[in-house]
Order: sequence, then C-alpha cells, then structure tokens
Amino acid sequence: MESVISVKNLSKNFGATRAIKNLSFTVYKGEIFGIIGPNGAGKTTTLEILEGISVPSGGEVEVLGLVPSKKLRELNKKTGVQFQATSIQKKMKVKEALDLFSSFYEGPTQKDYLIDLLGLREKMNVKFDDLSGGWKQRVTLALATLHEPEILFLDEPSMGLDPSARREMWSLIRLLRERGSTIVVTTHYMEEAEQLCDRVAMIYSGQLKALDAPRELLNEGAADCLAFTSSGLSREYLNSLPGVERVENNLDDFKVYCDDQQTTAYHIFTHCQEKGIRLTGFKFEKGSLDDLFVQYLEKEKIG
Amino acid sequence: MNAIVKLASLETKMFFRDRLSMFWTFLFPVVMIWLFGSMFVGDNMSQKAFAEYFVPSWIGVNIVTTSFFTLGTVLTNYRETGVLRRYQSTPLQPWKILAAHTFQGTVIFAISALLLMVFGMLLYDLALPAFIGSTLLSLLISILAFFPFALFLTSLAKNAQSAAAISSLFLNLMLFLSGATFPLEMMPTVLQYAAKILPLYYVIQLLRGTWTEAPITEYGFEAAVLIGIGIVSVVLAVRFFRWSGK
Repeated sequence: MESVISVKNLSKNFGATRAIKNLSFTVYKGEIFGIIGPNGAGKTTTLEILEGISVPSGGEVEVLGLVPSKKLRELNKKTGVQFQATSIQKKMKVKEALDLFSSFYEGPTQKDYLIDLLGLREKMNVKFDDLSGGWKQRVTLALATLHEPEILFLDEPSMGLDPSARREMWSLIRLLRERGSTIVVTTHYMEEAEQLCDRVAMIYSGQLKALDAPRELLNEGAADCLAFTSSGLSREYLNSLPGVERVENNLDDFKVYCDDQQTTAYHIFTHCQEKGIRLTGFKFEKGSLDDLFVQYLEKEKIG
Repeated sequence: MNAIVKLASLETKMFFRDRLSMFWTFLFPVVMIWLFGSMFVGDNMSQKAFAEYFVPSWIGVNIVTTSFFTLGTVLTNYRETGVLRRYQSTPLQPWKILAAHTFQGTVIFAISALLLMVFGMLLYDLALPAFIGSTLLSLLISILAFFPFALFLTSLAKNAQSAAAISSLFLNLMLFLSGATFPLEMMPTVLQYAAKILPLYYVIQLLRGTWTEAPITEYGFEAAVLIGIGIVSVVLAVRFFRWSGK
C-alpha cells in the first residue's frame, strides 16, 4: 500500500505543556483514517501539524512527500481542510463563497458537482450566518473539496449535527473517498469512528494508545462484556474470576468485561446455581469503542 | 489575479450589506463638516475659506478612519473568527488578502471623499481642487501610506476590542493634533512640533496645498515622508501578517 502521510516520533509543546508526545503512524492512500480521543487529547493539534499550519516541536512529518510546515502553499493545492471552529465571512452568500474559493485554485474545480451532491442549489443565495449547523458543515465541506484534494482533513465533521444529518455526512465522506481522496478525520464520537473509519489511532493525553481497524481494536481490547442484574454477587467475587478485565456496577446492575465471554459466563452461572443466587437479564454485549476507551482511561489512572 | 479581483469585489459588496456601518462611514464626516461650519463660518472666516481649510482635512481624516476602522478592525475580526485561518489552508497568499482589502478600502474612501467634496461645494462654495491631478496623486500616496500602516498596527492586537482601542487612540491623537479639526496656529509651539510626527499632518498639508496653492511638486518633503511610511508599512504588514490570534 502506498503511504500518503508518515509521522515519526512527533512531539509538540506549548510552553511547558507537552501536547503531543512521540507520536508515530502512517496513513495509506484511499483510506479513511480516524484520530480519536477525548476533548483535549491532542487530536486537533495533530491534525494542524499535518495540515501544515502548526509547526511540530520534534519528530518528522511528511504529507504527500512534503514537509507540511515548510511547503504549505504547495501542499494546500493538494489537500483540503474542514476546520472545527472557523467560519467564513458571515455576510457571504453560499454562491459567493464557492466562487471565491474556486478562484484560489488553478484549473477547473468540481464546484457544480458538489453543489448537486450536497444539495446546495436551494441555499445558494443564503448568507452563511443564516444557515443551520448542518448546512454550514455542508458548505465548509464543499469549500474543502472544490479542488478534488488528494487528502482531505476533517476536524470533527459531525459536531453539532443531529443523528440523521450525521449519517448523511458519513455517506458523503465515504463518497468522497470513493472519488479518490484519502480522508483523515478526528472525532470524539466513538460511534462515528466505528462506522466510518478503516483504521483509527486512539490518542490520549498526546500519546498513541492504539492503532488498528476499529473491529480489530475491539477484538484485542476485550471490550465485550456480560451484563446482568443480581443482588447476590459482589464485585470482589467477579473480579476474582479468571479472564475478567474489569467490573462496573450500578447497585445490582453489573457489567463484566472479559477476554472470553463464554468461559466467564460459565463460571458465573455455575457459582450462582450452586449458591442459589438469582440472575436476571443476562446478556452478551458486544463492546463498542466507547467501552474500549473507558477501559484505556481506567488503565491510565491505575498505571 | 482572479482571486484578488473576486475577493476585493466580494468584500466591497459585503460592506454595503451592513447598512449601519455604511450609514456611519458616509454620514459622520458630512455631519462633522456641517457642525464645524456652524462654529467657524462667520465674520472672520468666509464660507469658501472654511471649506478650503476643512474639507481637505476631513478627507484626510477619512483616510485614517477607513484604514483603522474599515480595514484594520475587519481583518482583526477575521483573524479572531477564523476566516483568515480558513484562507491559510488554501493557496491564497497573504499579500493578495491585503491587496484586496486595500482595494475595498479605497472604494469606500473614494465614495466618502466624493460625498464630502460635493457637500462642501453645495453648502460652502467649495471649488474643485486647483491642481486636481496633484490632489489625486496625494490621495493615492496617502492611502498607500495609511492602509498598510493601519493593517500592521491592528494586526498586533490580540482581539477586536484591543484593535478598536489601538484604532481609537491613533484616530483621536491625529484628529486633534494634526491640524485636521483645530488650526495648529491656535496651539502652543510644543504641540505644533508634535503634530509633525503624526502622519496625518503630512496628508493634510498635501491635500490643502494641492487644493488651492500649488501642485504636488512643491510638496516634495511631505510626499516623501508619506511614501517612506508607505514602504515601511507595506514591508511590515506583509512580513508580520498573522493568520490566527494564537
């Protein structure tokens, strides 16, 4: 596979704060690569370094064979960016924004295609400030993809969108990938990462915690759990069972995270049967990245 | 080139979408002239003398207000709200942004200057500038000195509020100390010297002079000072252009 972004031992300090520590990863052509983590984990900082608008404190970064912070203008011809917290001029109409940004690039743009794809035609004469959050995201997505960028950077693209708008955004992003763009996306919605990304880099306090396909992460991370309600079981007992990673409970509602659901369930059932303890609502639950995430954070606290 | 034209025309269009700021930009100077007219015109000063003194001054003041308030604060606001940041991730170069805003400012200034002149002609017997080519050239030099000067100074501000504070400070200093509103002859000698370090003083000398007295060639020193300020400011404005507040 052809790599389009390579990051080696990247670090970034803001004064005494070490925002990014020794981060390394590679992004391959044509994939949707997710950078996930809680707020303040260093996702946006990482993305800004890849985009070239922030200069790294250490390490090596190459995007499409260029050092982003040194060849920004060159890179900007081939990359597109959708920022999280930037706006275009409030009084600018959608039509004007598309025209203006098209004029920044040499050669023809896919403006008309995007207008149809994103359904912008009916909003062409609306001022940016009068658009709802979902439409604003569509417009900024269009502005980022006018020049058919080889790499598209999206910072929290579905922030503030309702669930159906979010799903639409995902299918648009997939479509853009099918048209040949490599996509790097940050998110703190784990569901988004699971649904959208081919691979995810999980970042916490500026460090890479895991990097793989979402499915693989879930398999390795033992994020699967058993859920049930019982008044006769203690956390201590459940924690003592072989293969149990972690126990969560809210009064009598338990969640037991384990490597092997079947074996752990067998132990619990046998114990309860022998002692005459009542178990209700027993479920095999598939883990989500959310669970995995909490798991990493807990490990962090202990370690 | 296309990008500059698009950006300049859009920014100009958007200025006119803001009715309130348009109203103030164009009406305020006219009201000021009218106020000063009712104060100064009388036994000691004829209408024509008043207009020849004050209209060119207020056209000069307008260059300052346009450069600080229309250009400077707008760009600071763009810096704060991420508009410039968005541009940073396109191939658009900073000088094109500055040039587009300079064009926009020039259009807005030209309209307000024209309004002032027509108002002066209608109410106070003002005549067209005697050396009109020289006056236009003086205006051009003044714009090229002031616009980048203001763009540079306001880019030092952290946010729109401090940009407005910087702008007000400069405007007030120049308004009262450069002979625009009160004749310098009325002031103590110290202040008369102080006036000469303010760039607006030279703008006003040039405009008043070419309006009635002599062509620009007679004002070589004033023109040279402004050209010098212009060159230094352009270099500073481009060199220290900042995309974001961080």
